[in-house]
Amino acid sequence: MDPTLESPEFIERLRQGDQAAFGQLVKAHHNMLLATARTMLSSADAEEAVQDGWIAAHRAISKFEGRSLLRTWLTRIVINQARMMLRKGGREIQFDPTDEQDALAHRFRDGGHWDHPPQHWDLSGPDALLTRDELRHCMEKTLGKMPDNQRLVLELRDLQGMDFDDICNMLDVSASNVRVLLHRARARLFELVDHFQETGEC
Amino acid sequence: MLKCKHVVAKADALVDGAPMTRRERFALRLHLLMCHHCRRYIRQLRALLSTLPRETDALDDARTQEVLDRLNIPQDR
Repeated sequence: MDPTLESPEFIERLRQGDQAAFGQLVKAHHNMLLATARTMLSSADAEEAVQDGWIAAHRAISKFEGRSLLRTWLTRIVINQARMMLRKGGREIQFDPTDEQDALAHRFRDGGHWDHPPQHWDLSGPDALLTRDELRHCMEKTLGKMPDNQRLVLELRDLQGMDFDDICNMLDVSASNVRVLLHRARARLFELVDHFQETGEC
Repeated sequence: MLKCKHVVAKADALVDGAPMTRRERFALRLHLLMCHHCRRYIRQLRALLSTLPRETDALDDARTQEVLDRLNIPQDR
């Protein structure tokens, strides 16, 4: 991400209604916002949520006070649009973790030590595990099947690198709940990669 | 003494650099010193998270214009 897109000068241009600056903002952030919205909505609905988000952002930009990053502010707007659309359809994302076990729980003995420890993954070289196409494909599938609450938290934290506390604030969810959801999402992916290393299959 | 299961549960906070008490950090370090399975878990978790498929492409100009066209900006600007 271009750091000038968070600079005070750029923000001032936006606040003054500079349309070229707003265009730069759209260009830089649209796909990222779409990825966020898609964790909660169908592709078509996600497009709509992001477009509505831009309209809302354009209206509010003159009052943007720079208390958060622009990127965080935009993400919060789009998440709110997406949640509003869900509510209209009578749906809602629940952030209270269910009492499911995480994907790695079965790999420990009763005493809490590894029963089935992680495989060794080949992390470097031309055939490094994590770069292999079959595994990328399996990952996409796992990401697609993940519960929305886990997928969203993973998207914000690990794919977009947002600050953990910002995520708790923008979702209005406690840090401990976000922690649990993030752990479950990561455990699913770890289990997937480890299983692939062992069997060559998803 | 921490168990592996607890180390895995705390690994997320560790790789995120989340604040931890000195006591927690010490217990984790001590466990990792002795347990190569947990060391491997953390090393591989870090590698995994750094290679997740990210959406970082900029939007093309035509689509950018479409978004802007739908903002209903007053024509007198």
